[in-house]
Amino acid sequence: MIEHDDVFENLGAYAIGALNGPDAAAVRRHLDACGECRREYRELSPAVTLLATSAESCADAASGAIAAPSALLKARLMRQVRADAPAQAPAAVGMRRMRPVVWPAYAVAAACLAIALISSVYNIGLSQRIGQADAQIAALTSHANALASSSETQKQMVADLMAPDSQRFAVNGGEVVKNEGRAYVAMHSAPMPPKGKVYQAWYLRAGSKTMTPSLTFVPDRTGVAVVAIPGNAKVMEAVAVSIEPEGGSKQPTSKPAFVVKFT
Amino acid sequence: MHPATPRRRFANRGQRKNEAKVTRVEDASRLMARVRARETAAFEALYDGYHRLVYGIANRMLHDATAAEDVTQGVFLKIWSSPDVFSSGNFTAWIARVARNRSLDLLRSRAAHTEGELPESLPADEALEERAFASIDAAKVRDALARLPREQREPIELGFFSGITHEEIARRSGIPLGTIKTRIRSGLRRLRETLDGAVTA
Repeated sequence: MIEHDDVFENLGAYAIGALNGPDAAAVRRHLDACGECRREYRELSPAVTLLATSAESCADAASGAIAAPSALLKARLMRQVRADAPAQAPAAVGMRRMRPVVWPAYAVAAACLAIALISSVYNIGLSQRIGQADAQIAALTSHANALASSSETQKQMVADLMAPDSQRFAVNGGEVVKNEGRAYVAMHSAPMPPKGKVYQAWYLRAGSKTMTPSLTFVPDRTGVAVVAIPGNAKVMEAVAVSIEPEGGSKQPTSKPAFVVKFT
Repeated sequence: MHPATPRRRFANRGQRKNEAKVTRVEDASRLMARVRARETAAFEALYDGYHRLVYGIANRMLHDATAAEDVTQGVFLKIWSSPDVFSSGNFTAWIARVARNRSLDLLRSRAAHTEGELPESLPADEALEERAFASIDAAKVRDALARLPREQREPIELGFFSGITHEEIARRSGIPLGTIKTRIRSGLRRLRETLDGAVTA
């Protein structure tokens, strides 16, 4: 039958999506009725998925294949999804070297680190409305980007949080951790700030009279937030966190939730 | 560091390709069930496992990293907001089709030309496909594609990644339509046969 022969010939093009609407519809209808064409289609269609797989981007840029989408995309996506989801049970963690109580939260928060940093990159964009110096914003943004995209940094963070020789300063709901030139705010039970507000970190540079604004962040639904404070912790005399409007502030507009003096 | 078990399975994809790939395929349906139960960890695991495929297809078709990211975001948001849209079968084939069709929509809105949406698999075949090709990675497929005769590879890639019809392929190349049709079929068969040899039992 003519139609059968035509359809049979078209099966390859059909499988790869190279038929126009009416022709594709004709093939679809015919497949319902024809075993021989179904058998042929069955032979051809797995190769189409293989073809699609050939386009898969690679993590390894050196292989010459295309790069993967940015970490920013994932962070944006996960923010939307988490905002939409009901409260989740905390993820199971299989960490052997556990610090009492706080450590399980860190393992979850390590994944949030990138999100916390990245959300503050967005907030930095908003904070241009309140007139922070462009150079300061650019420096903070690029540092945050560098931190967010580096898994080495995440490993370093986890190492610092766990290291016995890190300095730890307990605060309500978490702690500030310092090791060499790196400082972190690590909250395990921080309440969600009111709508339209975020937490903002500050540090006091040695010799300065006012607090320098740093990253803004929000805890996840379990109250966990871990942020690495950009900058050299060796020149920081103190670190503070206060609640500020989304986008951050140039100076604290509220009494700090805590201030930690580095000894 | 990564929380939650499913993500660990993707962590070493580079080193344990076969094992990770088979796990990935088995997990996708289970992960989707958990996404339907609104578990964000399961959604994250799906993203980690499949975002490169979605992005790769979109980037290849659109030649635009930003547009490819938009497609990727759209596909995964759709998975989260309407998880019933995939119930069973070969997840890889399904998500590849969604990625291609969405990219095609963008191509169409740019310049009125393309028509071809990828068809759905015949339901009976999906489990078979899944098992047969679970352990094949992108590098092996690219290799096999490169080894296809050019006359077969070109119409296949044009049809799939440029979204143009086989009539248009024939017109542009000056090769008779009937010949193009045959070459597409032969090329697809050959690709499958080449990779059949590389499939683990």
